[in-house]
Amino acid sequence: MKTLELTDLQIAFHGHLLNQASSIAQEVIDGGRISVDHRLNIYHNAYRVRLLENLRDAYEKTWTYLGDDTFDASALAFIEANPPQHRNLRWHGAEFPQFLAEQFPQDADIAELALIDWQLRHAFDGPNAMPFQLTELAGLSPEDWETVGFQFAPTFYIAALRYNTVSIWHALDQEQVPPAAEALPEPSWLLIWRKGWQPHFRTIQVVEQAALAQLHGGASFAAVCAALSEQFSDQEAATVAGESLRTWLQDELIVGLTGVH
Amino acid sequence: MNHIASDLRKKSPGFGLGLRPVHYPDFLREPQAVDWLEIISENYMIPGGKPLAMLDAILERYPVAMHGVSLSIGSTDGLDAQYLVELKALAQHAKPMWISDHLCWTGVQGRNSHDLLPLPYSEEALRLVVRHVNQVQDTLGQRILLENVSSYLDYRSSEMSEWEFLRQVCEQADCLLLLDVNNIYVSSVNHGFDAIEFLNHLPVERVQQIHLAGHSDHGDYIVDTHDHPVAEPVWDLYRYTCSRFGEVATMIERDDHIPELSELITELNRARAIAAETLEALAEVA
Repeated sequence: MKTLELTDLQIAFHGHLLNQASSIAQEVIDGGRISVDHRLNIYHNAYRVRLLENLRDAYEKTWTYLGDDTFDASALAFIEANPPQHRNLRWHGAEFPQFLAEQFPQDADIAELALIDWQLRHAFDGPNAMPFQLTELAGLSPEDWETVGFQFAPTFYIAALRYNTVSIWHALDQEQVPPAAEALPEPSWLLIWRKGWQPHFRTIQVVEQAALAQLHGGASFAAVCAALSEQFSDQEAATVAGESLRTWLQDELIVGLTGVH
Repeated sequence: MNHIASDLRKKSPGFGLGLRPVHYPDFLREPQAVDWLEIISENYMIPGGKPLAMLDAILERYPVAMHGVSLSIGSTDGLDAQYLVELKALAQHAKPMWISDHLCWTGVQGRNSHDLLPLPYSEEALRLVVRHVNQVQDTLGQRILLENVSSYLDYRSSEMSEWEFLRQVCEQADCLLLLDVNNIYVSSVNHGFDAIEFLNHLPVERVQQIHLAGHSDHGDYIVDTHDHPVAEPVWDLYRYTCSRFGEVATMIERDDHIPELSELITELNRARAIAAETLEALAEVA
């Protein structure tokens, strides 16, 4: 019987791993103590086990929250639908939060928890940038302050949350029983980034979220201050803006200036 | 590249371990009885953060070899240009003693299985691998090492033995070998061949590094799991390997159920003792 050329053999083998109809069994020598099917199954299983372990590692809190059975069922369904396309296993699973959102449409806390897992991992090994120092602002002229904006750490990410997912995360982190999932009265925001070598996150209020979203989108600090003045008295607006800026610098969220010559 | 045979191998740096994140604090706290470390290349082919900072600290303290799992040298897709760019960037940063990957394929049609899948030992596969090794070596500007993988099946399209295929690849492509003694043992049981015959057919001057690892014995077959200590039959085979290949950089791989570093160093010391005894006996005979 004629054998497949290498390209077709690899397509058939990989198709077998992906549960597709495949002629690979005809390419394998039948002999020895175990059957051809058994030999092929070793690879079929190893493929899933490796990818499942990687998802458990990347989505550790989600795994704890769902438990082995539910997590593994979702993860294996994800693996079937999303064969890895990147050479580095690190990047497999980026779409898992969206997948969970579709699997559990009534339980958005699950997808939100997964999104936090993924973004914290991204914060862990995302690009480096030198934090901008508060003292470096001293060199800005009054004209500079009219146009200056900020570059944010490359790991900067804001997640919109509709559930008490942060409370669930903290309980899981302390190995306590998580609270029941509850929709929040108002959507909240979670700021995620890396400070030093450590991923960080904190819940932010609507005022700070709006300011950060504007600045991250390229707005000047002066424009953000002007927007604050529409909600607060001038003095309050100046205090909010000044304190926020100091916090961002201390948190190593800002890594450079824009709009300054 | 044309070199005389005696120039092929670099002098052995001694006995090493695979670097795993759980052991970063041990290696950075104080010097350990480990001569060199092997890093998994892909673990550091990332944008930034703590892993790369840890790597820099390790590079100040230990000679390092780079070991990849995703080169997919035998894939009919061809080489992944972006992967090679990232691999070269890491090599330029880490300046490793050498760079290795596996003689296998990991995916096709743009999809990656993240497993080390076996090639048929055919003339067609040989031509493809030799062409790819040449491309990789031209890109990296150095010889690479290819490791024999453990396998669980044989193809009807194979035209030669695994050892003949390995020998042909490294002689035709002028590359080196990373001999995984555990994989030879695992495959010898799974396929029913003689591990000694395998070793006897490999070119001594091209074996730059040796891997030792543990496996899982399922009775009818063995799986290369790297989650156990090195098994007795693999130690026996290592003893023979030392007698045939002489002084070769040797290390232990452990990827799961990773024990305390001290336990791995004790295991590594057994490799040191076996190599020393074997080489001493050879010297006496000489």
